[in-house]
Formats: sequence, C-alpha cells, structure tokens
Amino acid sequence: MKRLRAACTPARQGAAGLALAALLAWPAVRQVLEASMWRQMLLQYPLWLLAGALLAAVLPQRARAALARWNAHGITGLVLAGVVLAVLMVPRLLDLALRDPAVEAAKCAALLLAGAALRLSWRAAGRVVQGFFLGNVLPMTVVAGQLYIDAPLRLCNAYLLDDQQRLGRWLTGLAALLALAWLVQVARWATAPRPVDAAGPDAPEAPGPCTRKENLVGVRGFEPPASTSRT
Amino acid sequence: MLRTALASMLLLLAGWAAAAWLTHDFQAWTDEGARRLEVALAPVAAPTVIVEGPDAAATELPALLAQHGGATIVDFFYTRCETVCRSLGSSFQQLQAALQAGGGHAGQAPRVRLLSISFDAAHDDLQALRAYGRGLGADPAIWHFVRVRDEAQQQALLRRLGVVVVADGRGGYEHNAALLVFDAQGRMVRVFDLAEQQLALDYARHLAQARP
Repeated sequence: MKRLRAACTPARQGAAGLALAALLAWPAVRQVLEASMWRQMLLQYPLWLLAGALLAAVLPQRARAALARWNAHGITGLVLAGVVLAVLMVPRLLDLALRDPAVEAAKCAALLLAGAALRLSWRAAGRVVQGFFLGNVLPMTVVAGQLYIDAPLRLCNAYLLDDQQRLGRWLTGLAALLALAWLVQVARWATAPRPVDAAGPDAPEAPGPCTRKENLVGVRGFEPPASTSRT
Repeated sequence: MLRTALASMLLLLAGWAAAAWLTHDFQAWTDEGARRLEVALAPVAAPTVIVEGPDAAATELPALLAQHGGATIVDFFYTRCETVCRSLGSSFQQLQAALQAGGGHAGQAPRVRLLSISFDAAHDDLQALRAYGRGLGADPAIWHFVRVRDEAQQQALLRRLGVVVVADGRGGYEHNAALLVFDAQGRMVRVFDLAEQQLALDYARHLAQARP
C-alpha cells in the first residue's frame, strides 16, 4: 500500500489524469460511453470526475494555498461539485450533450472541475461538511433515480425506456452504496484510537503537504460508480 | 470565510442560471418538452426535401404542405412498427373520421389534412406505404403517406423537425412520436402529444380557418 502511494507521484497522477481526459474526449470513446443512458451517467460522468481529481495533483502548492483561501472547510469546492451534479442530472442535458458540441464541452469541463474540486476540498471539509454535502447530493440522486424508474415515458429522446429504468435502479443503488461507505468511514474514525496515534506512523513517511497530495479519499469516495459498472 | 461565502454564492447563482437556461426557465426538464416549447415560440420551416408517396408524385415537402392551403397534421412512422405507430395510426384514423364528419363550422369543411411520413425509406417503398394506408382505411382525399427517398435528405428532415429515431435493439425503432401541426406556409407551428389529439385537431382547424 505504501509502495503504491509512493508510486503515485503527483506528476504521474497528473499524467494519468491528462491521458484519461484525452481518452474520454476521443470521439470513438465518447460514442461508446454515450450509447446508452446508464453509461453516460454512471461511466462517463465518474470517469471525468476521476480525471479532474487526478489532474488536481499537479496543482502547485502556491496555487493550492491561494485556492484554499476561497475554500474554507472545502465548502466552495463541495458547492461547486453539488451544483455541477445537480445540473447534470436534468434529463434534457443528456439529450442536448449528444447533439450540441458546446453543451458537451461544457459538461465535460464542469465534471473535470468538479472532480478537482472534490479532491481539493474533501479532506478539508471534515465530517460535518462532508455529511451536509452527501446529505444533499445523495437524496437528489435517489430522487432522480426514482423518477427514472417511475416515469412511464422516455425522458430522453435518444435513449430507450428500459435503459432509463436500469439507470434509475443503479442510481438509487449507487447513492445507497456511497452513503454506506461514508458511514462506515465515519464509524471507523469514531471508534479508532485518537488521531494523534494515527498520525504517528504516517508522519515520518509523508510530511504535511505530501499527505494531502497523496490523499485519495475524495477520489475513492467517487470511485464506486466506475467500479459498479465494471461488475 | 467571507471569501468562501462569496464564492459559494456565485457558484450557486451560476448553477441557477445554467439550470434556468437548460430548462427554459424551469418549464421543460426534457428535451422533448423544450422542443415543443421552442416550436410554439418560433415556427420551424420544413426543409425542401423531396417526398414521394402512392398518392402523391415526387414533390418538395413544403410544396406538398402548401398544396391545399389550410393546415396539415403530420406524424412520423414506419410500416413495420408494432408499438407507438399503432396508436399513432389509430389516432390518425380518429382524426380522419372527425375530418370526414365535417368541420362543424359554417358549412364549409376546414381544409385540414393528414400526412404520415415514413422514416424507414430503406424498407418502406411505395407499395408498402400503399398497403399500410389501405390497412388503416386511409381516405386519399384527406390522409397521405409519403417517404423521403434520399437518405441524407431524410436525416436533414428529422434533424430540422427534432424527430429523434433510435434503434430499439430488436430490429425496430423508437422515436419521439407526436402530432406535428403545419400551417399553409409549410411551417411546423406546434407539436402536440399523442394524448392531445383533440387539441391538435382544434388547433389545426383554427389555423386553417384563420388563413383562407
């Protein structure tokens, strides 16, 4: 695990993010990822978020410090991510992104930014702000999922009804899974020995700023979409 | 903290603006809803594509729509369709019956016509269209069936009118079926839901009377 962390230098992460973004922007890949509704929302969205999170690794310390001044407790970053996810859940956007290149570009850029914002803000947010963020985003996802399940008509002209219903079920499941994962993390934190002990073994290996760089909690928090779809 | 609050407020405002733009001020959440709204606000002229049918020689679509003055209710279909086109078909049968029964206004029948356009030109030749029309009991004086012979023109027509056709994975198609009302200038002026058949008829009649 430590070796893996050491191998994930910021430069490598940035390169991986860049490569992932280039791959996602490739027309053939876009076509595959947008061929169905669930792939667009549960594969393409999280992958762009991941690319953004990886790219955030190359942000120099000075830029991070400047951003942090506008991002107390990670609130601004999480607001950005929440707003982006909320707007991108409007069914019309899924259709529009297919036929309007400007909307598609804006969508991908917004996801990239949201991914970076999540990574830069997650740790700083702390449990309370994290809980508030998830308390907004996850119920919103469940509502959208239920809407997709219950709608008797196709909400997107470009996608079929069974695709829409499948997406609805998976969105609901994903929200439940993410909530559970976060709660487990909180429970573990609450029952773990005090942070003073936890910081001990980490400290010599990775000093302050580096720990933050290596911290992938934010990314991990948003990885389940990709891993769900892999199964 | 003040800066964070400010930045967050700005982001929320930007999100609000983006959502308002996307949903036409929170009136339409789906692309189909937005399309209907946009058509009602700004009529869409039918492109000059060549259509042909068993009862109509090859002609440009705007000319066909303008032929009798009045208004035309248009739908898109394909003859092998088993699902939504069935209800479109019966919807058009009822419209035809209503039109045959007369305008119900001042003696003279409003000149409202029906036009079914196939989007499966590869399969729907003139013979298939004729057989399909007969099967539905179409009255050639009221209800025409046409197809767009040229594939590129067909795509252009569908795109212009906002008709989205997707393969359903079982050899058929799914599309945003609706009743499209055209005026005598060949402009699509309204898009009605299949359930709004009476509304579409009333609107078309009104349109036909308003422009003698």
